[in-house]
Parts: sequence; C-alpha cells; structure tokens
Amino acid sequence: MRPAGVMRRHVAIVGNGAAAISALETFRTHDRDSRVTVASAEPCTAYSRVLLPYYLRRKVPYHHLFIRDAAFYRDFDADLLLESAVERVDVGARRLEFADGRNLPFDRLLLAPGSSPVRPPIPGLEGPEVQHLWRLDEAGRLDHLFRQGARALVIGAGFVSLQAVWAARQRGLVVTVIELAERILPTVLDDAGARILQECIVASGVDLHTNTRTEGLMRDERGTLRVSVEGLPSFAADVVIVGTGVRPNDHLLAECVEPAQRGITVDDTMQTAIDGVYAAGDVARGPVVGGGPRTVHALWPTAVEQGKIAGANLAGARATYAGSLSMNVTSMFGVTVASLGRFAAEEGDTVVLRDDLPGLRYLKIVVREGVPVGAVALGGAAAATALGFLRPFVRQRVPVADIEAVVTGEHVAGRIARGRAIGRVVPGGSGS
Amino acid sequence: MSSEREIQQTLCRMCDDRCGIDVHLEDGRMVDITGNRAHVWNKGRLCVKARAAVDMVYHPDRLLTPLKRTADGWQEIPLAQALDEIAERLVEIRERDGARSVSVWKGEAIGFGQQEDIARRFIHAFGSPNYLSNDSMCYAARYFGYKLVDGGWPIADLENARVIVMWGANPPHAHPNMTQYITAARRKGAKLVVVDPRLSAIARRADVHAQPHPGTDGALAWGLMRELIRTGAYDKEFVERHTVGFPELSAYAATFTPEMVEQETGVPVATVIEVAALMGDAAPRVAMYVGNGLEHHENGVNNIRAVVSLDALLGAVDREGGNRFVEPAPLRTLTLYDDVPLTHLGPLGADRFPVLYDLRQECHTMTAMGAILEGDPYPLRAMVLTGANPLLTNPNTERVRRAFEALDLLVVRELFMTETAALAHYVLPAASFLERSELHTHAKHQAITLTCRVCGFPEVQDEYQFWHDLAHRLDMGAYFPWDDETALNRWLLEPSGLTLEELEAHPEGVTYSPLTTAPLERGPFATASGKVEFASRYLKDLGYDELPTYKSPEYRGTPDDEYPFVLVTGARKLLYMHSRFRNIARFRTAEPGPEVEMHPDDARALGVGEGDLVTVTSRVGSVTIPVHVMSPAEIRPGELQITHGWSEANVNLLTHDDRFDPISGFPLMKSVEVRVEKV
Amino acid sequence: MRIVAVDPDSCVACRNCEYTCAFQQTGDFDRARAHIRVAYYPAERACVPFTCMHCAEAWCMEVCPAGAIARNEETGAVEIDAARCAGCKMCLLACPFGNIGFDEADGVSGKCDLCGGDPRCVGSCISGALEYVEVEDAFAFRREALDTRLRHVLRLDKGRP
Ligand SMILES: Cc1cc2nc3c(=O)[nH]c(=O)nc-3n(C[C@H](O)[C@H](O)[C@H](O)COP(=O)(O)OP(=O)(O)OC[C@H]3O[C@@H](n4cnc5c(N)ncnc54)[C@H](O)[C@@H]3O)c2cc1C
Repeated sequence: MRPAGVMRRHVAIVGNGAAAISALETFRTHDRDSRVTVASAEPCTAYSRVLLPYYLRRKVPYHHLFIRDAAFYRDFDADLLLESAVERVDVGARRLEFADGRNLPFDRLLLAPGSSPVRPPIPGLEGPEVQHLWRLDEAGRLDHLFRQGARALVIGAGFVSLQAVWAARQRGLVVTVIELAERILPTVLDDAGARILQECIVASGVDLHTNTRTEGLMRDERGTLRVSVEGLPSFAADVVIVGTGVRPNDHLLAECVEPAQRGITVDDTMQTAIDGVYAAGDVARGPVVGGGPRTVHALWPTAVEQGKIAGANLAGARATYAGSLSMNVTSMFGVTVASLGRFAAEEGDTVVLRDDLPGLRYLKIVVREGVPVGAVALGGAAAATALGFLRPFVRQRVPVADIEAVVTGEHVAGRIARGRAIGRVVPGGSGS
Repeated sequence: MSSEREIQQTLCRMCDDRCGIDVHLEDGRMVDITGNRAHVWNKGRLCVKARAAVDMVYHPDRLLTPLKRTADGWQEIPLAQALDEIAERLVEIRERDGARSVSVWKGEAIGFGQQEDIARRFIHAFGSPNYLSNDSMCYAARYFGYKLVDGGWPIADLENARVIVMWGANPPHAHPNMTQYITAARRKGAKLVVVDPRLSAIARRADVHAQPHPGTDGALAWGLMRELIRTGAYDKEFVERHTVGFPELSAYAATFTPEMVEQETGVPVATVIEVAALMGDAAPRVAMYVGNGLEHHENGVNNIRAVVSLDALLGAVDREGGNRFVEPAPLRTLTLYDDVPLTHLGPLGADRFPVLYDLRQECHTMTAMGAILEGDPYPLRAMVLTGANPLLTNPNTERVRRAFEALDLLVVRELFMTETAALAHYVLPAASFLERSELHTHAKHQAITLTCRVCGFPEVQDEYQFWHDLAHRLDMGAYFPWDDETALNRWLLEPSGLTLEELEAHPEGVTYSPLTTAPLERGPFATASGKVEFASRYLKDLGYDELPTYKSPEYRGTPDDEYPFVLVTGARKLLYMHSRFRNIARFRTAEPGPEVEMHPDDARALGVGEGDLVTVTSRVGSVTIPVHVMSPAEIRPGELQITHGWSEANVNLLTHDDRFDPISGFPLMKSVEVRVEKV
Repeated sequence: MRIVAVDPDSCVACRNCEYTCAFQQTGDFDRARAHIRVAYYPAERACVPFTCMHCAEAWCMEVCPAGAIARNEETGAVEIDAARCAGCKMCLLACPFGNIGFDEADGVSGKCDLCGGDPRCVGSCISGALEYVEVEDAFAFRREALDTRLRHVLRLDKGRP
C-alpha cells in the first residue's frame, strides 16, 4: 500500500496503438496503483491499422475495427486523452506539451506514437482524391472513393499499398500500380517470391509497372486528376493512394535518434537513453533476434512484444527483450504470403528451396551455420502454418537437421514418435 | 427460442459393445447423443457411431410403412393386412411342405439375448427347428473353442492382467471401448501382444506384434505351448489338478519347434521365444482375447482350442488378471428347446456339424442355401428374416441371391431397403434400438441394463410386438402371453429379485451379483470330465481329433500360380458395422468406399497405385475394387484384406460357402486364395 | 484450468477424436477440418495426438490484430471469435504447434475451444489417450507417457540402450 499523502506515480503513454495497448495491459498486471494517461492524436478508442485493408475489402465491418472500447480504459484505470497530439516532450521538466498548449507532467513515459506515411515530392500530388492508407479517417475517405468502376492509381508497391490494391480490385476498381523500384515488396519477399506474387497481381487484372516513375499529376478542365507516368500515355484517376513508405514519429525525442538513423534508440528493456523514458513499436529502434545492429521493425507483432516489455518495466519489473523478429503474413490475390526473419541469403548461407510440399507453392529457408534465420513461403494457409512451426527455431536459434520435418510439423509429432529430438521447442512457446 | 432439452439414458446398439448413452431430446426429437459417464462399461466414452444413431433413426430413406411386392413393384399396405397375409402364407407353406420348411433368420443388427431368444421361441412354437442367424459365422466358433476346453467362455480380465494377448481381435474398431481397459492395464505396466496378420489399430500399441500368415494361429499357439513346456514355465499344479490330456498335448506340442513355427506362420523364432517368455513371467496374469479373426478358416475351432489350451497351461483360467468365469444373469429363458424339442425334424446342418446344433442350437445358414435351392436335405420354402443382410454378409453372394430369390415367402424386417430386403415378398419396417426396450447383460461387470424406448413411429413395431402379433395370428398366442415388451421384460427379470423400476433408475447398470476378487475356488469345470480338457472325449466320439491338432491352411501347402495371393476378408472398420451405416453421409466422407489393402511391393509388381482399380478373383467369383497401398509395416507381401459389407465391391462374391471348419461349420473367409489383375 | 492432455503411449489413431471434432465444426467428417490431429507413423507404430494447449501466455491471442482471440473466463480456453476474425492468419504464424486451422470457405481461423468446457474429443477417445485434466496434471500425464515411449524407443526398458 502506498502511504497516505504520497502522490500517485504518473505514467504517461503517448499513442494508442498496438504498442501502447499492449504496454498498458502488461503494466496493469504489475501495478494497479499508479495513475496512467494515454494520449492519442486520434479521436477514438484503439483501433487496428492492420484491419484497414480488410475493412476496405468489406471483410471486416467498421465497428470491428475498434479493438478496445471505452470500458477497457476504465477497467485498466487509464485516462484516455483523445485528439491530443503531443508536440514536444520536455525531458528536463518531465512533461508533455500538446499542440493546443496544454501540458502534462509525468514520472515515467512511454513513447508509442508509431510512424507516419511520407508523401513523395511528386508535383500535383494533392486534393481530396489523394490519400494514404494509414489512419482510420483516411480509410473512411477511401471507402467513399472506392466506387465500382472508379480508376485508381496506387503509387508504391509495398505491403500496405498492395493490400490497398487487392481491396480496390475486390471492390471493382480499375487499378494501376506504379512502383519506382525494380520489384514489389522488397522488405517482405525475396525476388522469387515477389515474382510469384507479381504474377498473381497481374492475373487479377491489375496494371502493374515496376521500375517506373510517376512524373506528376494535373487536373483537367473538368477537374479530374490526370496522371503522367514515364513511358505511358497519361490517364485519369478518381482515387490516388500514396504508399511510398513511412517514417517513425521519432521527432518527439530527437535527442535519442542517432545521426543518419531513424527511430528512437532503445535498449533491451525498451528504455531510451533517458531514465524512465521508454519507446516501443514503430517508433523504436531496438534489438533484433540474433544480434546485429538495432532496427526498426514496423510490424504489429513487434509493437505488441515491445509494448509488453516496456509495460512491465514501466512498472518496475525487469523484463528484457530477446529482440524482434520480423514476421509478415497476409493473403492477397488468392495467395497467402508469409515471411520471417532474414530471408535474404548472404555469402556462406545455405538456402533450402522447395515447391513440392503440401499447400506450399514456394518455400525458401535461409540457414546460417545450421540455424534457420529466415524464410519466405507462398501458398495456401499452410504457408503461415509452416513458418509458424519454424519460428521458434529461428527465434531461439536452434540448429535444425531436418528442415522439412519442421515446416510440415513433423518435428513435433515425429520427435515423440521417433524418440529423437530434431530440435527443442519450449512448450507454450510464446513470442517473448 | 425456447425448446425443452431432455436427456434419456439408455444403451447404444450401433455395435455389440452396448455403451451407456445420454440421448438428448428437444421437443421430443433426438438432437444429440453423448456418453453416460456412470455406465459400467464405457464410462462416458463413445465412438462416433453412437451419435450417428440420430441420423440413422431420422434418415430420409428409413422404411416406415409395410411394403408388399406386386407385379407393379412395391405397394404400401397397412400393417395389419401385412401380418394377416404373412400368417396366411406361413400356414399354407406349413400345410404343403411341413413346418420345417419355414425358418427364421436373426441378424446381428437386432442383437442377442432376449431378441435372439424371442425369434428362437417363435420358430419352435411354429414347429420348425430352423433358427438361422449370424452365429453361423460369428462368435459360435470361439464359443466352441472355449466351451470344449474350459467348459464355458470366461471373460478376459484385461485391466488386471500383466500380459494381454489379442488374437485376431482389433478392439478399437470392433469393440471400441474395450480399448480403454487395455490402456488401463498398460498404464499399470502390462505388456500387450497382438497376433494379427495386419498391423491393426490395437497392434500400434503392442509391445510385440506377431504377424502370422492368415489361419496359422494354431501353429503359433502350439509353438508357445511347446516353449512353456520345454522351459518348465507352465503351471504344473494347475495342469495336474485341473486338466486332462496333458501327456497327449505335450507329446503333440513337441513337434512345434520355434523354427517350424516360423516356417509355418512367418513369426520369427525370436518372437515366439519372446512371447513365451513374457507369458511365462506374467502367468497366471495373462489375459487372452480371441477375436473373429481366428474363426473363418478351415481349422478355426482347433486353432482357438489351441489358444485356450495355452490359457490353461499358464494357469490363467478363472484367475484374476487371466480369464474369469462370470455368473450368468439370473433371467428367465425364453427358448423352448426343453418344452418343444424338435431335433427329430433334422435342424438344418445338425447332421453335418453336430457341434453347432448340440452346443448352440444353431442351424447352418450355408446348408440352408442348399435346402432352398436343391431341397437338400429337405426343402426350405419360407423365411422370416430380421436385422440381417446376408446378401452382403454371407459367403458366396451369388448363391445366396439365387436362394433368396427361390423362396416362396421371404419376409424381411428392416430399417432400410437393403440388398436382401429388395428380394423380399414383404418388407416390414423395423424398430431401431432406440425404439425398443429390452434387457441387456454386461457379463464382464455382472450387471443388467434396461434400455428405454426413446422415440417411435406409428407403423413400426418393436421385435416383440411383431412376433407376438404374428404368433397370435398363427394360433400360438399362448407362447406369447405378454402384452408388450415391458410385460415381457418384467417376466424375464423376475428371478433376479430386481425390478424394472430399479433398472430404470439406474441406466448405468445394476449389478446382479458382486464381482469377487478373492482367489477363486476352481472347478469342477463345465466339461464332461469336470476338468479343463486338452483332449476332448466329446469330439473324439463325434469322430474328430481329440486334441486341437493343427491343420495347415490349404493355401500354405500348395502354392497356386493361378491364385497366388491370400485374401483376408472382413477386417472391421471403425465406422461400419458389417453391412450397416453405408448410408450415413459423413461416414462416407471419412471412409468413402471399399478397397483392397495391399503391400507396396505387390502394388509395384502389379503396376498399381493408391486408388487404382484391380480385379480380385477367387475360385468363387470376382470383384473390381480400388487399391489401398498400405505402409510396408501394415500388411505382408502376398496378403490382402478387403472389408465386407460394401455393395459397390462385395467381397463375399469371392468367399467360399463350401469349405468349412469341420467342427463349427464356419466358412472359409479369411484365407481365400485369389489373383489380382490391374484393370 | 483444464486442458485436453494427450498420451501418445495410449493412442491407437482410431480417429474418433478427429471425426468428432470435425463434426462439431462442420457437421461432416472431413478430418482436415478438425482442431485435433493425430499423426500416425506406421513404421514406428507411433500415434501422436495434437491439439491446442491453451498456453498460459497465448501468443496467438496476444498477437491477433483484430482482437478476435480471447480467453474464456469460465473454461480458460483460448477462443477465436469468428465474427471478429479478419482472416489475416497472424495466429497461424504465431502458433509453434500448428494448432490453428483456417477455414477457406469463411476466410477465418479456427481452433479448439474446449467445446465450452466439455471437449467432445475426450468423450470420443475410446483408448483413454485423451483426458480433460487440470493443467498441472496434464503435464504429469504427458511427461510420464512420453518417458515411457522414449524408454521404449531407446529400449531402456529392456536394459539395452
Ligand atoms: C494499412 C496497414 C496495414 C498493416 N498491415 C500490417 C500487417 O499485416 N502486419 C503487420 O505486422 N503490420 C501491419 N501494419 C503495421 C502495423 O499496423 C504497425 O506496425 C503497428 O500498428 C505499430 O504499432 P504502434 O503502436 O507502434 O503504432 P500505431 O499502431 O501506429 O499507433 C500509434 C498511435 O500513436 C498515435 N499518435 C501518433 N502520433 C502521436 C502524437 N504526436 N501524440 C499522440 N499520439 C500520437 C496514433 O494516433 C496512434 O494511436 C499495417 C499498417 C497499416 C497502416
């Protein structure tokens, strides 16, 4: 019990996304006493960004985008400040300063403001038809723009862009995708995997151009946007989705961003260089599985994991993070695409390639010194299951003798059946 | 939505395990079936057949009105008219050809005990000795094996055993809940030995899987006896005090060296020695269970007798952890063998297979086919058949078909229009087990359960009502004085001192006599000598060998280029019970159709793969059937298995109805010489 | 909390559990749709049932970006709310045991929910290999069984390793 008269400790959380929620939940399993404030730039309770494309595709209804309701904040005893964008963190005074001039002192702080999409310097890229797919309000506007037969331009062929493309196709739009780089999905797929997906995208009727520059947009006399693209006749667009990348909202703690890097640097407790100030999620540059330089893994699971660690440590527990492991899965254009860890092979790595396993069209596993370090899988749901089987081995750096046994799930049953361990799996093996 | 959910507790009779079930009803309609956790036998666990009873009862193809065959096809007629006409025809035929030209055939689907006995009672009251049943090829041969040696069929005390031996039995598929008793014993350290030509489901858990060639189990049993005698590991005291014929047995066993056994059975010398050692160490806590796998051979009964003799050598007869005699339920008997003996009328098969009639009052169904078709030994003209589908389940289907087509009157009681029903003159809708109330004995637990009538349909009679109504039309109502099943049940139960009300209150089973665990005071045994009979005087007097001598199956002796494979038929599958349940849609999803199980080497040699069609031909007939390529561990090269009961590829087109075990008259169905050709 | 504990040393791969579960999910007996699977290895004569262990720290649940996976307070089961599931397959990727399935027709993930506290697979396990027991007992149950199996495979029980 806290002695009477002593001020309750105040923990502030900036952001209301995956990392923030996970931190709050974990924090409260350790600490029921401290005061907690959650400050969000947006006007609503927590929603899931990951679901926005599913919403556009009409798979998920609007009200299911919200993954926490008002009661949640009551139950977890947190004040939720809506439409309260933090403009500056005064580290010396230990207080947050809001855009409208309010400020809020804190004892401990978690920065989980995520990242924001960047808008490339393309002339004429403005107007109500031009949207990112990042925030809820943007998704709402896109939903209105998604009319059967409308012409859509998608700039960029990254993970989020392509999900937007798939949603647009499902809704009957005519879609052109322009990607400056040589290929689609550089951070999610290897070349071969990307080629397979690219075929599926084209097969679904999308006009896809890689290695192509969007030169500019103009309005014609009727006010319609016309797009000029290198090497193509100009065309009209009713919707423009800009998906050329995001950057962490790290300006809030610029002193903890290393030169020429992005993201607020944290240690394995998710603490920044400033005592009692933590960062997690898309904004954090943290340790990765297997060592190596700290990285921003702007992914939902990483945000959840990091939030958990930060939440525990905000409460004074001593949780340490084994490091993030990128993992991606989605289904689009009729194929399940999954990837894990470091799937780009380096000198000396062994690469296992298979196209003959049940439910898998393509499987690539990169093995470094006997230990699987990354993988890509395309196919049916088995693609996700296969990498699920593999994930603990990558995470815990367990050498695998029989890769096929692992990705088919054989190892779990087989080691019991054959009385020999192919690898070690911790039962109840959770992410952390 | 408010609907009343009610639970009625009764027994499942989708197979003969008879597990306790909770039938869930909503507004009087069955919606679910779950296990009765308190039931003595299954303790709440059920195989998936039980739940399918709901689907069976409400199946759209269910027969709910009596049908009469006419020149224009089936005609629906009122029940009373059907019974009147049937009674009239039966009387005509009796007047013309004598009472013995009329028979009753009771199938497995109806069950045993009281339902069997009502049918027996009816036909005897009618004046004919010709009660036919599925026991011409199931159960009886094992009964003889035990009866002839031990004087009765004791029950394997699985859960107290230190070694369990399954001979040609696969409980997970055939008696599902027996499996949990085996597990219980294994958890206490018991070793499991499975003797089966195939790697059956239970063999997956075996410490030792002995894989004899089909029909050679007797040689293995003799080899084990030789080992036990040679090493002195047999129970000398038991043998001395309680057996006859040991010197003869011992002399005959001597030739069954492990090498000879390996040669004959394919079971390696080391396995023979290992199994004998396991048994010797564990004796008398060795519980052996013999399945139907040993019955369908030309040497079935003696193979079984050899196994039973092994029990006696181990002193495992009437011992805890071995085999135990149980007290029969103190119920009245319905049969009329004492009141109306009809042996003088020549029960069908009683002259060819005297043991079959003498010990079980069974007539011989295969002899009955000859009686119908050739009048040999005398004409059989009419049959009332209930709960059976011999057109799929008796050997040599073509002959069965011709016989049934030749009958002057065939009455079939059925749930569905089966292959057999399709040949009937009258098809009467029968009550499923959920539409009947009857007494059941769980011998192992010395307990009685009363089943309850959970649902019913207007024109559908239960078994008793049918026989009762027919009997009253035939002026033999005096033999069927009870108004209904309940009155009959009450009468049957009277000597037990229990009441129907008590049974109703305890659907989990009521013990009629507590099981004792005290060492049993053994003997006298219910044999002629009062002892366990290694050598049987009774058989000798009937002209058989007195010892269970071993006869090598014909296919082992003469390799036949024309029929190079040996086919086992009738291995049970989880989802089907003989010919039943092929119309449960979801069962078809899981086990879609017939297949011939084959070793991968044979498949390769024939140039066939999984699902490819082959024609399998025996001296009797042939079927075209898809191949199932087994794992090499699951079946031996040169050996095949086809499960019976599929009309799409009816394996009984291949089986013999003229090659029998000489004692039981059981047909050769599990070591049939065949050839296989790619289609 | 109780879970479905499996004992491979008692399993005969009769498939009753798979059929029962598939029936619960779909009304049919397509084993691929069951949330319990039994791996069978004829050469080793090994039968290994697998189903969700409802992990104390359920990573599938934590990671679900749709908030569709939650623990049932009464039964302790980790359950998927199909109405909320977006079909993103993150949970499939999160489970190290392959215990989450995907229903292609509805585009949603599916897993064992302990049938609301009365798992039907256990009721249909005629060998006794499945038991619905307290978690602590489950581990004892499984460990013991596993040890027996390993001892057997390594032939330690016969004194020749
Ligand atoms: C369309 C889309 C699809 C995606 N799909 C996937 C996927 O399939 N798999 C995957 O792993 N990841 C996916 N992601 C990425 C994933 O959503 C993010 O990695 C994850 O949400 C990061 O969590 P976070 O808590 O760090 O940030 P966010 O979830 O972005 O939360 C940031 C929060 O901070 C608030 N905020 C921002 N700035 C301020 C401020 N100055 N003051 C106060 N509050 C502020 C925001 O309003 C928000 O509430 C997707 C993202 C998008 C947009």
